[in-house]
Amino acid sequence: MNLEEVAKILKAVSEGADQAAVKVVQRTETMLKIANSEPSVVQTWDRTVYEILLGKDERVFALSLEAGDPEEVIRRARDILSMASKVDKSPFYAPLPPPSGASPRAVLDETTLEKAERMGELGELMISAAQEEGAERVAGMLSIAKIRKLLATSTGVSLEEESSSVEAYLRAFAGEDGSGQWSLGGTRLDERELEEMARRAGRYAVMSRGRKGIEPGRYDVVLSPMVMGNLIDVVADSASAFMILMGMSFFQRNKPGDAVASEVFSLIDDPEDPDLPESTGFDDEGLPTRRKYIIESGVLRTILHNSATAKVMKAEPTGNAGWLMPHAWNYVVPAGDMGEEEMISELKRGIVITNNWYTRLQNYVEGTFSTIARDAVFYVENGEIKYPLGKIRIADTFPHLLKNIRALGREIFKIKWWEVPKPSKLPFALIEDVNISLPKI
Amino acid sequence: MEDLLFAAIDRALELGASYAEARYHRNANSSVIVRNEAVIGLGADVLDGVAIRVLVDGSLGFSSTNRLTRNSILSTVEEAVKKAKAAAAIVRRPIEFSEERLGRASYEVVPKRPFDSMAVEEKIEYLRDLYRLSGDALKDAVVASFVAFWEEGVEEKAIVNSDGAFVRSKIPRLEVYHNITLALDNQMMNRWEQHGASGGLEALDDWALQEWIPHYATVMERILAEAVQPPRERVDVVVGSEIVGLLVHESCGHPSEADRVLGREAAQAGTSFMRPDMLGERIGTDLVTVIDDPTIPGSYGFYLYDDEGVPARPRYLYRNGIINEHLHNRWTAKVYGVRSNASARANNYKGEPIVRMANTYFAPGDHSVEELIEGVKFGVYIKTYQEWNIDDMRWGQRYVGQEAYLIENGRLTKMVKNPALEITTKGFYSSVDAVGKDLSFEAGTCGKGEPGQGIPVWFGGPTVRIRNVPLGVVPQ
Repeated sequence: MNLEEVAKILKAVSEGADQAAVKVVQRTETMLKIANSEPSVVQTWDRTVYEILLGKDERVFALSLEAGDPEEVIRRARDILSMASKVDKSPFYAPLPPPSGASPRAVLDETTLEKAERMGELGELMISAAQEEGAERVAGMLSIAKIRKLLATSTGVSLEEESSSVEAYLRAFAGEDGSGQWSLGGTRLDERELEEMARRAGRYAVMSRGRKGIEPGRYDVVLSPMVMGNLIDVVADSASAFMILMGMSFFQRNKPGDAVASEVFSLIDDPEDPDLPESTGFDDEGLPTRRKYIIESGVLRTILHNSATAKVMKAEPTGNAGWLMPHAWNYVVPAGDMGEEEMISELKRGIVITNNWYTRLQNYVEGTFSTIARDAVFYVENGEIKYPLGKIRIADTFPHLLKNIRALGREIFKIKWWEVPKPSKLPFALIEDVNISLPKI
Repeated sequence: MEDLLFAAIDRALELGASYAEARYHRNANSSVIVRNEAVIGLGADVLDGVAIRVLVDGSLGFSSTNRLTRNSILSTVEEAVKKAKAAAAIVRRPIEFSEERLGRASYEVVPKRPFDSMAVEEKIEYLRDLYRLSGDALKDAVVASFVAFWEEGVEEKAIVNSDGAFVRSKIPRLEVYHNITLALDNQMMNRWEQHGASGGLEALDDWALQEWIPHYATVMERILAEAVQPPRERVDVVVGSEIVGLLVHESCGHPSEADRVLGREAAQAGTSFMRPDMLGERIGTDLVTVIDDPTIPGSYGFYLYDDEGVPARPRYLYRNGIINEHLHNRWTAKVYGVRSNASARANNYKGEPIVRMANTYFAPGDHSVEELIEGVKFGVYIKTYQEWNIDDMRWGQRYVGQEAYLIENGRLTKMVKNPALEITTKGFYSSVDAVGKDLSFEAGTCGKGEPGQGIPVWFGGPTVRIRNVPLGVVPQ
């Protein structure tokens, strides 16, 4: 696929439309899945996705087509456009922007892509690194992908870029109850980083053997970058104008300029970082992307917009389209000044949580939620780890958590896995007065 | 297309595969999104491709493409074989499949009311009505936003494998999702719901959303206006059907997935508190029977053959309080030394078939809901939920009630706000002392696998009473 071919599709689907955009994503990927310290399956994909936005008489039509027959793409687009007279004008209709100087920025590392042929060897490296730390068995995943993105719009945008993407994570087990998990996400595969990722999972598994219970209540907690990435995904989604309009954001009653977090905390949407695989020079409307603060030193700075949500909320697009839902590209939380050990030493009566999953909200507007700690969790007294804990839950509100961040770690980790869907660069965080719950029977 | 699938199988066997499977898989959907009274837009999505799975030297390879030319499909086969071979060097326990009698069949779900019997304008009007009726039903609160997604589509598959399976299927499904956010004074709350069924527009009659959503809006208004803090001591709890359905999905269905038990999903969806040797152990009272049944007509998780060609049947996971059966595909069945019970499913052409639930439910008993409540001196009736989660071994779980009432001397009195039922799997099933006869089902999209595969399921149950359990309180 090249831009000429995309232009042909654009021309064909534009027939009868007032405006149109076509994004084609070609993705080839190899994934090794590991369970019980051996491969459980090797998977490969070779697929092409046609995403099409059509506007006619201020009606909006969006299509996502992984069609086997390219003719079906055009047929489907024409079929849906024929319904224009049957629906009302959409408040989400906005003119597509003209070309505005966006240029490719994604990073493609050919050396990394070549490593997809050595999956067995790389899997063995992950397994043995964790075992050297004392892990008895491991499970995990390594994926290497090449992504080619092409965009053409009826306003004259014609852009393409290619990127490489790596994701890896390992969960290590030791003894009756020890387990640890860590992850890695980036544009390049560095074997040393892969090995260190596996080693940290292995170390946590060994350290978390012999778990004990704890009383529910309020504790100061140190959250690892794995946990931060999972929770920040909810924070960034809440900053999407679409989620605000859907009534599913705890920033519903906020506006830029409001203090929503502790002064030590900032969250950046960074599509410019060459290490992170969602980096891109242009959004789905062809607007240039840019690094921006969502939260800067505790203050809400940016609601993420595409042209449509910007029109509805009387704002400016931020280079974050998504045709329907504007979204962040990569999450970056700037480092603080504390070491990991130093952060733990600050805890008088606290908990270190290295991984979590299953974050769910009771009330999206209030930000009431819970999430479950998974793998290594440690009880700390007077700055020293006393013993590992069984599974506990953070049951609190996002506004409370954000306002109670007291310190951030100085080391930054590149994180991405099942529960951290966006590539992220994150530190450890110390958060005060967090509600911890667990089942009593 | 079927000729190409057979050619793919032949090619894989020529290249040295001991087993080969080719699946043509197409999901084609149309959608409408409405916010309040406005149409946001219309949508269409299609996933149309071929998935190949091979066993080579005991190593499993999967490959898929949506380029449906002969050359592309044969290249996809070659890729699957090549990658499986390359990983075979570090496979210690070769993967094998159980012997099965596999299907050679074709089946189709025929809607009573086809999707095209309702014009798109009428579908839009139907969704708008839900917003208007909700607003009209409220006294003091207002609908801050109402969003509804309508999705209708058809899933078609053709599955062939080198062990003789050849199964064609066509299943239409209808889904409606909605989120309503209410505001009263300075308080706000939301309710997200999903409805889904196989078949056609007849499901709308069962859901009766034009009555249900406005009714529930008034419930939310009452919660905002009246609800008090729930008790903190141990109390009897009457758990509503909506929660029981989710609870059996999470704490019976998921831990019964044999691939989890064997550690294959350990780094993703997690492991299980169960081991193969726990079959026959007690998990709950005699009143506890949980069934997973793919063959329920009209269900969201309906199928008659799984994606390995094994004929489907009801699976009795917990039977009269005893752990009875795990969910199997052909690999886990071989490891256990049993027959597959047809649990292998993939969500689309990009997914490998893995062990999945279909329609999981707590078998109904003989009490009316009123009788369950009358039997409680002091307790809480938790009818609906929003927040929930469970640990990755499926042991410690939490359901936070939304519509919930205090029970005093067998009668519902005040509404209570956000009671949190946080309980272990055995803690719940061992506390069941009475089971309602009011079986109903909810639709969900169950997540599992890597890459994640969301798959349609129903989960259901009657209202259930549990005795003497602690309740948690949600922070304000």
